[in-house]
Amino acid sequence: MKLYVTAAIISLAGLADALYLTIEHVTGQSVRCTIVAGCSEVLSSQYAVVAGVPLALIGAAAYFGVFSLATLAAFGYRIAGLLLTPLVVLMFLFSLWLIYLQAFVIHAFCQFCLFSAAVTTALTVITLIAVLSSRKTT
Amino acid sequence: MKRTLPFIIILVVLGAAVGSALYYTRATPGSNYTPATPTATGPTSPQPEAVNGAPGADPPYTLGPPNAPARLEEFGDFQCPPCGMFHPILVQMHKEFGDKLQITFREFPLAPAHQHAIAAASAAEAAGLQGKFWEMHDLLYEHQNDWKDKFDVRPVFEGYAQQIGLNMDRYKRDVAGEAVAQRIFLDRKRGDSLGVKGTPTVFLNGREVPFESLPTEKLRPILQNTINAGGR
Repeated sequence: MKLYVTAAIISLAGLADALYLTIEHVTGQSVRCTIVAGCSEVLSSQYAVVAGVPLALIGAAAYFGVFSLATLAAFGYRIAGLLLTPLVVLMFLFSLWLIYLQAFVIHAFCQFCLFSAAVTTALTVITLIAVLSSRKTT
Repeated sequence: MKRTLPFIIILVVLGAAVGSALYYTRATPGSNYTPATPTATGPTSPQPEAVNGAPGADPPYTLGPPNAPARLEEFGDFQCPPCGMFHPILVQMHKEFGDKLQITFREFPLAPAHQHAIAAASAAEAAGLQGKFWEMHDLLYEHQNDWKDKFDVRPVFEGYAQQIGLNMDRYKRDVAGEAVAQRIFLDRKRGDSLGVKGTPTVFLNGREVPFESLPTEKLRPILQNTINAGGR
């Protein structure tokens, strides 16, 4: 239970990060160059948009999904816990691909994207621990 | 109660997320730019006061006459991709509005984020000392992708200097010289005093034009309205 509460709280940080990037994207601020290196290159690249939808918005939706499922799981909805694992694993794999793109294709890192990857990694670890510990107890 | 509480929490978070997103996308700082409309009667709506700021390098590099009704000042970084994309837009505006529009370029190299930004600014300023600022400015922007990922850009910029017919001995001396460094410093100082945080940042008659208004189809009517209103 406590693990799901932790996951819900951590997912809020990811949600805030993704929302910030979405707002920056929609208002056009993200493509302006600033003292902070990398973000403009990453966020103005072709990978920042998927079929016309800002990737940050998809990320925000994913984090909201994690938050919802983790909250439900914390309140004892077992099905939510079961759905949470594949979602988080999917997000983790997607984050790996995004880091690959930043490192080897775009050649620039954006700290907001890296923060998101860190959040997803933490969520993955927590979710896997939750799954394993629930198997032990049953 | 216990069954509905998680749904209430989820709805509250959803509401907060959507609410904050809508709030910030509507009310971004600087997006309240209202171009002066040429209404014939009555006083025009109160405009944000034009800001002056620190003077910047003197004389600045400009295109178009100083008494043009629309005076546009760009703070740019030659290594910044969006500045490179904005360059052809300004070329087009210069072509369309002619002597109704004055364009000023200010150096705002974003070092250390862009490792060659200062070298590029120095190349342009050194060319400027030989009266060929805009020639170098154009080459740097147009060939941005050719040099921005290079390890050593000095030979590339020297190639451009040769191409536009600079005196190479003088260029090599100037590019590392005090006069060039001082001009870049003064432009940066002006940018800082005007609250410039990134590039390109564009002012029209002293008022910042929001970044989202810089594409051609948005910038054109803003310039046109300003010119129609006699520069107000």
